[in-house]
Amino acid sequence: MRKLFSLIILSFILGFQIACSENAASNSSNGAGGATAKKKIGVTLLTREDDFYRELEAGLQETAAKNGFELIIQSGDKDFSRQQSQIDNFIVQKVDAIIVCPTDTKGIAPAIERANAANIPVFTADIAAGGGKVVSHIASDNTAGGRLAAEYIAKAIGGAGKVGIIGQPEVQSVVDRETGFKEALANYPQITVIPTLNGGGVRDRALKAADDLLQGNPDLKAIFCINDETALGALSAAETRGKNDLIIVGYDAAPEAVEKIRKGTALKADVAQQPRDIGAKTVEAIAKHLKGEAVAAQVVAPVKIVDANSAK
Amino acid sequence: MWRKISGYIIVLAILLESMIFAWLAPQFFSFENLVNVALSIAVIGVLAVGMTFVILTGGIDLSIGSIVALGGVVAALVTKQTEFVWLGFAAAIGVGLLGGAFNGVVIAYCKVPPFIVTLALLTIARGLAFILSEGRSVGNLPENFVWFGKVSVFGIPLSVLLMLASFAAGWFVLQRMTFGRYVYAVGGNREAAFLAGINVKSVTFWVYLFNGFLIGLAAVVLASRLGAGVPNSGLQYELDVIAAVVVGGTSLSGGRGSVISTLFGAIFIGVLNNGLNLASVDPYTQKIVLGVVILLAALADRFRRDGF
Repeated sequence: MRKLFSLIILSFILGFQIACSENAASNSSNGAGGATAKKKIGVTLLTREDDFYRELEAGLQETAAKNGFELIIQSGDKDFSRQQSQIDNFIVQKVDAIIVCPTDTKGIAPAIERANAANIPVFTADIAAGGGKVVSHIASDNTAGGRLAAEYIAKAIGGAGKVGIIGQPEVQSVVDRETGFKEALANYPQITVIPTLNGGGVRDRALKAADDLLQGNPDLKAIFCINDETALGALSAAETRGKNDLIIVGYDAAPEAVEKIRKGTALKADVAQQPRDIGAKTVEAIAKHLKGEAVAAQVVAPVKIVDANSAK
Repeated sequence: MWRKISGYIIVLAILLESMIFAWLAPQFFSFENLVNVALSIAVIGVLAVGMTFVILTGGIDLSIGSIVALGGVVAALVTKQTEFVWLGFAAAIGVGLLGGAFNGVVIAYCKVPPFIVTLALLTIARGLAFILSEGRSVGNLPENFVWFGKVSVFGIPLSVLLMLASFAAGWFVLQRMTFGRYVYAVGGNREAAFLAGINVKSVTFWVYLFNGFLIGLAAVVLASRLGAGVPNSGLQYELDVIAAVVVGGTSLSGGRGSVISTLFGAIFIGVLNNGLNLASVDPYTQKIVLGVVILLAALADRFRRDGF
């Protein structure tokens, strides 16, 4: 009885897999049979479940349509082994290029090496890979984002006064934002930048850091926060103290932060990444590469400032 | 004589570090900064009262930070759905009580070690917080959700008063009620307590339930201050809270300690964090200083008990 039962289950599993592979096969034959033999690009995203990646995907598709590429888009669902097998499938399908938004910076390297061995060019978007040969990495310019925030703050406080930073020294991309911020403020001799406090990138710790920052510096004019959770924590601290003339600038332009900016709180502006642009630039890089043109190893996508005017 | 003086070591340590910080950062000694320090330990303090009870019975609770996050998320979601802030706050306390009851039942009646049970709940509660909130902070709530962050009495914020009330209640239960003596007895010698006719299981269960209530309270205070339910809040609170309890001088092996010494432990760590920030010590160095100081405090406590 038990044997029979496991047999039934086994046949189900087999049947399911056959059905799946047939599906995949028909997909790929579809592509190959196209009249103009479209170039095929395999894409494995980090996830499809947040706004950032939905935008990035839209950017990919728009630009792919313009260039006449066929995209095979799959989601790694933040699952490393799933993403690895997706890349292996792309290699079997003999795609013309692969785009990876790695679920695991280091762990993805072997899969990229296998693509290298098959002579398929690999591009990374948003998140870099820790190994393998990548033609080009396309991501937001975090240093430029920090500089934008600095310019905004410098203008808002009239080029003079004390400015604080709530950072997260454990994360490289975030440290880049801080570096850009400090670089740009170095041009303003009358602005003093107070040593960075660590908010851990999370709201409750940022709140504490902001409390201490405001306590230690009653004449503080502005705070740069390296992400929106940090900015919203700092905003709570400022509101508790009734410091409504403080200028807080956040990063990422998440919906909750944009809402606060629109309402005219102390959170005045946010640096926004433009994921759609990252997607577009990635496909453009591939188009260039496939035509045999040289592509920069690092392509940066621009960032922009969102404030009460642009948030409306 | 030495034993008596050394009971105040933690107080002396607080005075000493205050003097150092007053020298390093002139803003340190002001009423506003005292309130600031109190505010920064309000949540940790409420949690530390419950943790003192748990540790006195010889147990431990690692799940507190996660339950604080879960409670905050639930408070925000319920408030959003019903538009009643008080209902949201009540729901958070409910979450705390449920978590405490879960820990209590499994530890007292199923006899699984507290470390394992609460470690399990740590990850379960964190997972639930992320699922319920879909991985994002639940914000944009009605104005009066931030009540605990705004209201103060004679310049002292409500959350600080709540923390002081928790300490007072904890002190009263431990020192003035029979139940408190049972707690010491259970932690001091479980076997002897049992033979003396104390219902050890029931005492253990009630301690975790009481702890759960305080966790719910802490969740309300934190969410209210943040103006949102934040799924990744409360990270490593268990470590901060255990540090406060142990630095205060409560023994991890149970049966010895008090909530008053925990209050001093919390103040000590709060002053340390605040002072290092005011003195603009860089964040990497802060971590090292904090670790070294906790170690020193533990060593001092050890020598106090056993002599040099």
